[in-house]
Amino acid sequence: MNVPLLEIRKLAKRFPARQGREPPPWVIQDLSFSVREGEFLTIIGPSGAGKSTLLNMIAQIDVASSGEILFEGNKIGCADPKEMRPGLNRRIGYVTQDDNLLPWRTTIDNVLFPLEVQGRLDDKSRAHAETLIAAVGLKGYEKYYPHELSGGMRKRTTLIRTLVYDPPIILMDEPFGAVDAQTRMQLQEDLLRLWSLGRKTIVFVTHDITEAILLGDRTLVLSRQPARIQSEHAIPIPRPRSVKSFLTLPGFAELYERIRSEVL
Amino acid sequence: MARWRTHLDRAMVAIVILAIWQVAGMTLGVYWVSTPWLTISRFFVTLFNGELIRQSSYTVEEAFLGAVIGGVPAVVLPFVLRRSPVMVAILDPFMVGGYGAPKLALAPLFILWFGIGTESKIALVASVLFFIVYFSTLSGVRSLDTKLVQMAKLMGASEQQVARKIVFPLAVPHIFAGFRIGLPYAIGAAVIAELISSNRGLGYLVQVGAMNFDTTQCFVAILAATLIIHAVGYSVDAFEAILLRWRPPETAATGGN
Repeated sequence: MNVPLLEIRKLAKRFPARQGREPPPWVIQDLSFSVREGEFLTIIGPSGAGKSTLLNMIAQIDVASSGEILFEGNKIGCADPKEMRPGLNRRIGYVTQDDNLLPWRTTIDNVLFPLEVQGRLDDKSRAHAETLIAAVGLKGYEKYYPHELSGGMRKRTTLIRTLVYDPPIILMDEPFGAVDAQTRMQLQEDLLRLWSLGRKTIVFVTHDITEAILLGDRTLVLSRQPARIQSEHAIPIPRPRSVKSFLTLPGFAELYERIRSEVL
Repeated sequence: MARWRTHLDRAMVAIVILAIWQVAGMTLGVYWVSTPWLTISRFFVTLFNGELIRQSSYTVEEAFLGAVIGGVPAVVLPFVLRRSPVMVAILDPFMVGGYGAPKLALAPLFILWFGIGTESKIALVASVLFFIVYFSTLSGVRSLDTKLVQMAKLMGASEQQVARKIVFPLAVPHIFAGFRIGLPYAIGAAVIAELISSNRGLGYLVQVGAMNFDTTQCFVAILAATLIIHAVGYSVDAFEAILLRWRPPETAATGGN
């Protein structure tokens, strides 16, 4: 099995020109990479580099201007909205920057939402949801509404809401961007633990170099606009990793410095 | 503390209004303006002998049936039209016209068409409520959070599930706003239709009172209508508070009490 789970070939994107104006510049151009099954891939890019646009195209909610996207070796529609199916029949999970929880549903009902719409709600899946809730320390908060939860708790709910239906690949768009530093470390720790349980394929986009190294098996650095892959780094730091001991690990400082010099 | 203060202030406003009313009655004569005392005592007399309740129940029944007949399609239609903005655009000028047309001027026509019985009142109430609820529901369906819809679709929700599980809950506050504004009008419309021509209801009481130069009876009927409108308003608020308890307190505390 040498076929990558996800493959991006020469993807390019520019938004359509508004009437009577110059066409806007290319956001993404000639971007290619692939993701292996079970890999945690992180992508670092400056703000406004088109990271969200890239994930939107993979998630089938935005059209590409040219290029191909392959899932399990098969081309998936990415240029024609008619051929696109958001989430590719639940095979691509997507955790966005905003928490997007349904404000009228409690924590447990938010986590059960995908199972409910997929018609997979039964005792077993319910128990699975409760296990995940306990795993991120939300036990006791099942009956709370989103507005009664802290920002970090909402992020955790969002995370497990996607994990609960177990899509083969999960895209994450700076999911910990809008929280304070302490909460962010806690969330990273949670994600590392959850990942070690299931080894899902994850594409995690961030502008934070430390986060990219801490979480990933491999990291890609995007250039400024138009975004392409500027460099690629394997992250040989052994797992299990922890936010606490991380900075002192051998290899971290050197890797950080190398990536930083490319970004800045 | 603040609550207690509000109640006290309200009581004082009520006393001032009653005092003005009493003075007006005493200076102009009971023949023209009945006094609060006469009104309240007649109110209780007719309340306990069942007359007031009987007449009110006609009005409430007309308002209720009219609210159902006008309100249900007004809620359903924007959902049906959700996926066809062209239809909404085609209908828009007609809806705006219907909303703006003086509905109370339709009352004589409805009486002409449906007779002086309940039907003409129901028709008037329905025509008043329909447009108010239609526009507020439509604004709820339109103001929908595209990010939530996208999230639901990513997770495999069908178009129908999106409508039921995302769009509808988001529109509920708007639907309530429509009824909150529309229901007092609906009751008012029922009273006015009765006023023009009928043989029962609160509007009929006002009409007969005026014909007999019995201003007390007019005031009793108006008082009863006002109390009913208040009660309906409170019920809508209470129902909304239960249904929308998921909302953060800042926005949930917008009820009219």
